[in-house]
Amino acid sequence: MAATSEPHGSAFSAAELEFLAEDETIEIVPNLRMDPLNFISGDFGPFRPQIATQVPLWLAVALKKRGKCTIRAPDWMSVDAFPIENLTQVLEAERDSEKFQPLPFHYVEISRLLFDHAREDIPDIYMVRSLIEDIKDVRFHKIGTGLEIISKERTYALRLKNLSAMEANIVRPFVTKALETFYKLSSSEMIQESDHISNRQPQAANRGPRRQLKDR
Amino acid sequence: MANYYDIDDILAEEELVPSVFQHAANEVGLFDSSDDTNKVEAGSRVELPFWLVRELYLRQLLSIRVPPCFDRESKTREEIAADAAHVDLRSRCSYFYELGCKIAPLVGDKTIGPFLLVAFRIRYKEVLIKAHTLTLAVAPKYLTLLTKEEAKLYEAGQSSIAAFKKWRMGGPRFQIAPVLGRKRKPT
Repeated sequence: MAATSEPHGSAFSAAELEFLAEDETIEIVPNLRMDPLNFISGDFGPFRPQIATQVPLWLAVALKKRGKCTIRAPDWMSVDAFPIENLTQVLEAERDSEKFQPLPFHYVEISRLLFDHAREDIPDIYMVRSLIEDIKDVRFHKIGTGLEIISKERTYALRLKNLSAMEANIVRPFVTKALETFYKLSSSEMIQESDHISNRQPQAANRGPRRQLKDR
Repeated sequence: MANYYDIDDILAEEELVPSVFQHAANEVGLFDSSDDTNKVEAGSRVELPFWLVRELYLRQLLSIRVPPCFDRESKTREEIAADAAHVDLRSRCSYFYELGCKIAPLVGDKTIGPFLLVAFRIRYKEVLIKAHTLTLAVAPKYLTLLTKEEAKLYEAGQSSIAAFKKWRMGGPRFQIAPVLGRKRKPT
């Protein structure tokens, strides 16, 4: 699937990432009675009406489509200040600081799945939706400006702390290509020819600083 | 010889490089088609593809002149120094960086390496910004300035963003297998 949908060879297509995100667990409140399910990834259930339980997201969505459960929105997906990490604060922190805020690794995919399938189960859906959208935009802008630092100094690696799966996947083809080209152009035979004897040793030992993507 | 099967590597070596024959050579008049003697005189200037120049140079049959886009006194250098981001490199040499990397050790010009790096540093920033903001309607005009390497980089960024946007918009979640879509023709 990746080969057909992604001509430029990013590692995953968006749909594949969505598939991976479906393995994250989420809390549901079933309204049916069912024995525990035994999967390779673990046992889920038993399912009793009105007793909350943890299941993988794909199972939650499948049950939801059949009207057999309500999905409880995850803690991070809330507007009011009751839990520690709520979206309003995350958005503010995201705007203020250079760092990326910790969000679930698959937050883009999870929120899309929930918005598609469990619209009525999420409190303040419009607010949540626009907040997540804003957070995503701020983060993407940060990535864009952050990537400019590759060109300033020698860079061999980027540390992408707290970057989510989707974000990393989007920048991957661009960043790897850029780093490759920079590496080739600043390799020792292109640059250091003039004073190779004196400089070769320390250069091999110290492979240059690792750049951090706006995370200092 | 980085990658034998890499089409870009092959095409990069197709770029013409000016060179001067050190010896007269018979039977190769097509290089220098001035008359029908079918011969190239010693000291005549010809433009040959890089792969041929390299082999002949290693056999000391000709000497390489630095192509105008890398030359130390050239206009290109001045333009890169002035405003690298808007120089039309594609028309000068569509594999600017590849060829530069290959030709630098042959001609022994140590300024080519840093020159390439500086050019790419500045142009990279421009590509980065454009790849993430430009809409498809405006893009073609900008793309003509880029060398093949830069255009690839640009497309890599652009296409992954486009793929993401497409996914987010939704649309049909299931794709119909091509076999199923076909209808039997009424006969």
